[in-house]
Amino acid sequence: MSRWIKKGISVLCAMIMVAGCLTGCGGRSGATGGSLIFLIWDPGQKAGMEAIAEAYMDQHPEVTIEVQATGWDEYWTKLEGAATSNTMPDIFWMHSNQMFKYADNGYLADCSEIIDEANYSEIAVDNAKGSDGKIYGVPKDKDTIALLYNKDLFDAAGVAYPTPDWTWDDLEDASVQINGKTGKYGYMAFSHDQIGYWNFVYQNGGQILNEEGTEAKFTDPSTADAIRYYIGIQDNAWCPTQAQFANTGASELFFSGEGAMYYAGNWDLVNLCRTYPEMNGRWDVSVLPKCPNPANGDGRAVISNSVSYATAADGKNKELAMDFLAFLGSEEGQRIQGESGVAIPAYNGLEDTWVKTFADNDYQLNVECLTEAFDYSVKYVNNPSRPSWEPKVEQIMLDIYAGTVTVDEGIQKMQDSVMEAIAEY
Amino acid sequence: MKKKVRTDQDHFWGYLMVAPTIIGLLVLNVYPFLQTIYLSFTNAKVFGKYRFVGLSNYVKMITNEEFLRATWNTILFCILTVPLGVLLALVVAVLLNAKIKGKTAFRAIFFLPMVVAPAAVAMVWKWMFNAEYGIINTVFHTHIDWITDPNVVIVTVAIVAVWSAIGYDAVLLLSGIQNVSKSYYEAAGLDGCNKIQQFWYITLPMVSPTLFVVLIMRLMASLKVYDLLYMMVGEGNPALGKSQSLIYLFYRESFVSGNRGYASAIVIWTVLLIGIVTLLQFLGQKKWVNYEV
Repeated sequence: MSRWIKKGISVLCAMIMVAGCLTGCGGRSGATGGSLIFLIWDPGQKAGMEAIAEAYMDQHPEVTIEVQATGWDEYWTKLEGAATSNTMPDIFWMHSNQMFKYADNGYLADCSEIIDEANYSEIAVDNAKGSDGKIYGVPKDKDTIALLYNKDLFDAAGVAYPTPDWTWDDLEDASVQINGKTGKYGYMAFSHDQIGYWNFVYQNGGQILNEEGTEAKFTDPSTADAIRYYIGIQDNAWCPTQAQFANTGASELFFSGEGAMYYAGNWDLVNLCRTYPEMNGRWDVSVLPKCPNPANGDGRAVISNSVSYATAADGKNKELAMDFLAFLGSEEGQRIQGESGVAIPAYNGLEDTWVKTFADNDYQLNVECLTEAFDYSVKYVNNPSRPSWEPKVEQIMLDIYAGTVTVDEGIQKMQDSVMEAIAEY
Repeated sequence: MKKKVRTDQDHFWGYLMVAPTIIGLLVLNVYPFLQTIYLSFTNAKVFGKYRFVGLSNYVKMITNEEFLRATWNTILFCILTVPLGVLLALVVAVLLNAKIKGKTAFRAIFFLPMVVAPAAVAMVWKWMFNAEYGIINTVFHTHIDWITDPNVVIVTVAIVAVWSAIGYDAVLLLSGIQNVSKSYYEAAGLDGCNKIQQFWYITLPMVSPTLFVVLIMRLMASLKVYDLLYMMVGEGNPALGKSQSLIYLFYRESFVSGNRGYASAIVIWTVLLIGIVTLLQFLGQKKWVNYEV
């Protein structure tokens, strides 16, 4: 008798496990025509995305949209798995790092029909294009890089705050003076491409890749000079070494009053205001200092990147998803996004919505000057083979900083790595 | 005749009962393992598209300086953590078995690191090891670049790894020690053995099967070290290239650079390495592990 009970229990357990797997592994079988899944990688923007979804659902009561947020690393693992098994979410964000990979492999729907390119910043539209030049996403936002400065340290050293006319020389002078009078760090130049040396390269009139993305330009004198300059900043007493940054990041040094200046993306600003409320009014932002004697151009540049909204090329709810995508790209959808404060809408003329958030929350930052920098912004460096060369270039930069290769050897190595990756692609 | 039917039926129920585990193992472990072996002979990158490329991933691997360094780093990490960690755990276990006040509290304290999330452990230690503002350099008046000097960083991570593992290993060893019959000690005491001799001639041989298990587990865990390195060293650290482990290299190749085929080759090598080390241990156990109770 008891043997049979035991057997019965084990059979039951087995059945439950098998059944659990069937329903669990089967995926979204119950999705009806009216419900969409919207996947994003930034929990900080979930509320903003939900606000847009709410606005759409108010107009379309028969539709329900669920916003799901994950972490960055998990997002790409999940999305790639979903793409391979053809179960992508209905709507998702696409970063320019990954745009070519998904678009060129045919996983993204062509969005040329639902948007009018003229409404968006040129860079944001370019970032939504695949290698074939077609548009595979709806421009979501655009970003820029800012110079953050600590007013307390400037006051203590008696140095005037940065102005839009600042050059690299002013950046150095202020750093020397602040370091001399307060003993704190001046401009903290950490190893980074988008937030770091790329800006200096383009300000000097150099390039990382040529216009078509088919050739690396590291060894061009205008590029190499700027890279050399940026790496050389670390040799000054007023700049921490990369080893020091690995111990304590630039933003931690900045907000604890140990360093006077660093570069950060505009997407960080709202979160920084929230994280350090006691610092409100004691720091501010300015546009990046320009190159005083550029090899080409007027010395002004700032790297700008963007995110797009996308949907799968053959998704189950494609028609509905495309309609919601069009709404996300509309002025109304972009305005709601701007008001959420984290990102600057890609839609032309809506920069103010983002600027206004700071005043509304009484965050004392002069962010308006940053939106003016879009006049001379440069598109984020990208080409289809970027995923394979980017980690290598980053490692070579660190090797140069660590002194295991000389700057010139390193620049040559970066050039070769990128050319090799382009050839292999 | 009747008996045979009965046996078949017993087999059937037996298989049915282990089926959930076996199916789970096949689907979640065996199949992915075979798939990984296959992928290591392909140029797989993303979206499951690949072509057979023979041994070229392995050739690329053994001629790659980065890979050789990662292998050495992994072995060095084992040498640094396993003997010291297991020895300390044994000492702690013996002490926790002694008749002291607050024994339970001490046991709980030593086990605590096991309960804390590894990421939190790494973050706190990272702050303590901070070269400029960290408590360790401040207290000892040293200027060691604990987490950025390529020659030091493996030692730093090893210290944290040993600290994290002692409690768990000690509890396992403690349970082994408590299984030793008191009569042995009483007899030894009558024969005039002191405490050290009792440990050496009674405790150690009697606890050797547990010690063997702990040793195997610790070696495997050390050969697979990844999370502590990721949290404490991480991207952007100039020492990373010089101090990464095999699994970290695998992670970067597979999930950062998207070279799934090459990454598979690295992970297969890691499995082989663990296999070889474990085999050596099983061969060596005859010399020192005592299974007689």
